[in-house]
Amino acid sequence: MTYYALLFVAGFAGSFHCIGMCGGFACALGADARGASATSLRHVLYNTGRLSTYCFLGALAGALGQVICTSLATGSQNAASLLSVSLNAGQRVLAVTAGLLMILMALRFFGVRGRHRLTGGFGSSTLVVSLRSLLGRRGYAAPLSLGVLNGFLPCPLVYAMLAQAASTFDVLSGCLSMAAFGLGTFPAMLAMGGIGRLLAPGWRQRGVRLAGSFILALGLVTLSRGILPMSDHGLHHLWHFT
Amino acid sequence: MTPAPDTLCRHCLLPVGRRAFTRAVNGESCQFCCYGCCIAHQVKSGSGEASEAAWFLVRLGAGSFLSMNIMLFSLLVYSGAFTGADRRVLPTIQLLLWGLATPAVLILGEPFLRETWSQARRGRLTSSALIVLGSLAAYAYSTLAVFQGGGHLYFDTASMVLMLFTLGRYLEAAGRARASRDLAPLLAAESELATVIEAGLEQRRPVREVREGMLIRVKPGERIPVDGLIVEGRSHTDEAVITGESRQIAKAVGAAVLAGSINLDGPLLIRSSGSGGESRWAQICRSVREALRQSSRTQRIADRVVGAFVPIVLAVAAMTLVYWLHRLPLDQAMLTALSVLVVACPCAVGLAAPMAHSLAIGQLARHGCLVRSPGALEALAATRLIAFDKTGTLTLGRPQLVDLASDGVEQDEVLARLAALERHSEHGLARAIALAASARGLDPIAAEDVQILPGRGLRGMLHGHAIAAGSAALMDELGWALPPALLERAQLMAASGHSVVFVGWSENALAGRARAALSFDDTPLPEARATVEALRELGLRVTLLSGDHAGAAARVAATVGTDDWQAGLLPEAKRAALDQFRARHGAVAMVGDGLNDGPGLAWADVGIAVGSATDLARETADLVLPADGLWLLPWVVGRARAVRTTILANLAWAFGYNLVALTCAVLGLLQPILAAAVMAGSSLLVVLNSLRLERLPGPAHPSPESEPGPTASGPSRVLALLKAES
Repeated sequence: MTYYALLFVAGFAGSFHCIGMCGGFACALGADARGASATSLRHVLYNTGRLSTYCFLGALAGALGQVICTSLATGSQNAASLLSVSLNAGQRVLAVTAGLLMILMALRFFGVRGRHRLTGGFGSSTLVVSLRSLLGRRGYAAPLSLGVLNGFLPCPLVYAMLAQAASTFDVLSGCLSMAAFGLGTFPAMLAMGGIGRLLAPGWRQRGVRLAGSFILALGLVTLSRGILPMSDHGLHHLWHFT
Repeated sequence: MTPAPDTLCRHCLLPVGRRAFTRAVNGESCQFCCYGCCIAHQVKSGSGEASEAAWFLVRLGAGSFLSMNIMLFSLLVYSGAFTGADRRVLPTIQLLLWGLATPAVLILGEPFLRETWSQARRGRLTSSALIVLGSLAAYAYSTLAVFQGGGHLYFDTASMVLMLFTLGRYLEAAGRARASRDLAPLLAAESELATVIEAGLEQRRPVREVREGMLIRVKPGERIPVDGLIVEGRSHTDEAVITGESRQIAKAVGAAVLAGSINLDGPLLIRSSGSGGESRWAQICRSVREALRQSSRTQRIADRVVGAFVPIVLAVAAMTLVYWLHRLPLDQAMLTALSVLVVACPCAVGLAAPMAHSLAIGQLARHGCLVRSPGALEALAATRLIAFDKTGTLTLGRPQLVDLASDGVEQDEVLARLAALERHSEHGLARAIALAASARGLDPIAAEDVQILPGRGLRGMLHGHAIAAGSAALMDELGWALPPALLERAQLMAASGHSVVFVGWSENALAGRARAALSFDDTPLPEARATVEALRELGLRVTLLSGDHAGAAARVAATVGTDDWQAGLLPEAKRAALDQFRARHGAVAMVGDGLNDGPGLAWADVGIAVGSATDLARETADLVLPADGLWLLPWVVGRARAVRTTILANLAWAFGYNLVALTCAVLGLLQPILAAAVMAGSSLLVVLNSLRLERLPGPAHPSPESEPGPTASGPSRVLALLKAES
């Protein structure tokens, strides 16, 4: 449970990053003319859409983790130990990859940028045109759709959390990890839609640093799961406890 | 450029860091901390209209919300989350899945169902029938399983298949929206509003309601809606849509502006010189719209194949089902048949050509090149030989005086008399003579009783004396003597390919005699040589079919470097020559000026008119280049070939992929969801491959600076030549 709480807090801290990017959507989604309850519904739908995308991606990542470590493990002797506490080779590889990925993402939050840059060809500009047209639409399908598609927008925070979800090697855990993270972003994002005002950049930057620290910590723990020998009981127990 | 460290992201207001994203949004350079912010900012701040793509996107969003949840729970079920103690909740989960799947199938399946139904009523089976059949079968089977207990559920298959195909539809619509964005300025003439000033009031009116003499205000950055004259203000305009060449042209009060050109930097007040619907821009719009409406031969063949494909696929799926029923349980066999249906859907085939065509037509039109139909582009791509219809296509069409040989008289006197006589002629040579005379500062005088003798020349009276100008035959006819020295010079002139005119007059009531020989030359276009060379580099044979005399044709052919030439051809002979070429080289294209060579252009496989008649509606050529747009020809050919390659690649991919995937599906090697995913990928590939056409470079003018302005340098050049002579 502590583990999911940790992810929830990471999501909450990370939402200071979200406010910048996705908060823009929440603001643009704006108020409904039919009153406060309709407005709230719009924003809840938008966030539900986002959450369901995260859960779906989390479950997929978990399933992927499961498939990868099962297929990697079949060759080794440890195939039977998959359900036990000890980690097999596949899980180690995955944990190391996920950990490194998370650390890389965390560094981005501290302002260190890699050469990684997505190209803005067909995808971006077409998506832009279409998403733009969703913002102004009436009805409840549009905010839901916006939320669902918003969940697929490139975001280092989501990538990091997906890496974490993949390293759980389980569909349900992956899904729940992302759900915890997604719920963590709810308060800020809902407030965003309600208040419709940006926080002072200074505060948000502190929030982003905090989120970066959380991801860095999670990344280091995940990495250590892959690297440290099984006998390192202290850390292992700590992890298992969480 | 590295931004200052304290630069804030335009969207989220966080510091952008050292490696900022810099993108132009609405013409303004903005910096972003990440790609996502960049997209979000564009979405928020840009202006766009709701399109078909957005409609699919709403459907896709709502549908994927449901299908993702279905998929999520199905994944949980598959991964064994509900075994053991949690087994009790399984029926509830199944009901939940059904509850999610029913709206998902309705929302996502509705467009496909509607299309199937409307086509089926006309007795046609389309590819959407395959999707509908496949997903409904999976849905119906699973629903039965939920309510009768037992059996596997395939709600995830049904909804994911539909979602992935909706994704394909969205991609298609988005690609089309993208292509039409390119076409927007060209199709705008009919929908654009003009700011008309009437009785001191500004009114927004449709362009087609603008009449001659109305005052129009055009703000900087706007498109000028009608042809007209500037009454107030100064600015630069870009006339690329009309002339094909994108460059800034300074305009001040009194200057003419063209409809469709962009007013770049200053507010203008324009007095319309014609009605809004008659401008060349409006004609271009109509022509482009017409071209987009047609489909090419390749596309028609592809459509017919698809039409035949669907029933075959249905039969194959049925056979697959029957075959596997003997070896597998019902649901497994059904899944295999479903894979067959899904994977055989030839969606990408329908996408192969139209998008590439509309992109190319739009791009060509933005540079002033009009294509009559997509078929013309395909024919041009297949062409192996380009024939130039006349020397005039490769030359300036303005003969210039290059040499004057006189026999005992002053050059000035010859020119003055000749100019007086030629004032009455509309012939191209007359203009050259008038230019030469005015360049020498000779006072214009006028001859009387001027008679035009077709094919031979002119005769008239000047100061009471007979005067004539024309061929040696005319001098003979008049019984006027031709001094041997003059004749010799004239023969030399003709041998170098120039047109020669003799001038003679009588003095003191005696019989006249020829007193001078003048030679005229039509200079090849400055870019003609480069154009012909570029065409030959494209592997085309270039030839000249001229009605002129052999000397002139040979000289032009040699100067511009065509492979061969034929001279003295009458229109019938040109047709015969085209037929010969066609027999030897396949498809042939013919380039003319579009004014009086209509039949020749129509006889070729592709008729290309350069700088044609003002009325595009009466134009017979398949391809119309802007005036002075010969240099665009190699680019147009390259573009046509790129389109053809793209379409062929698209078709090869779509069909090839379908066949391979179909085989896998029949053998039961392909899961339906995977099949649908790769189908959507196939659509995406076709769309992306077509959009690659956008990235090809635009035309590069050989050298706009070095091109001599004909009006500026023409007379001075004659002057220099004549001075050198005397």
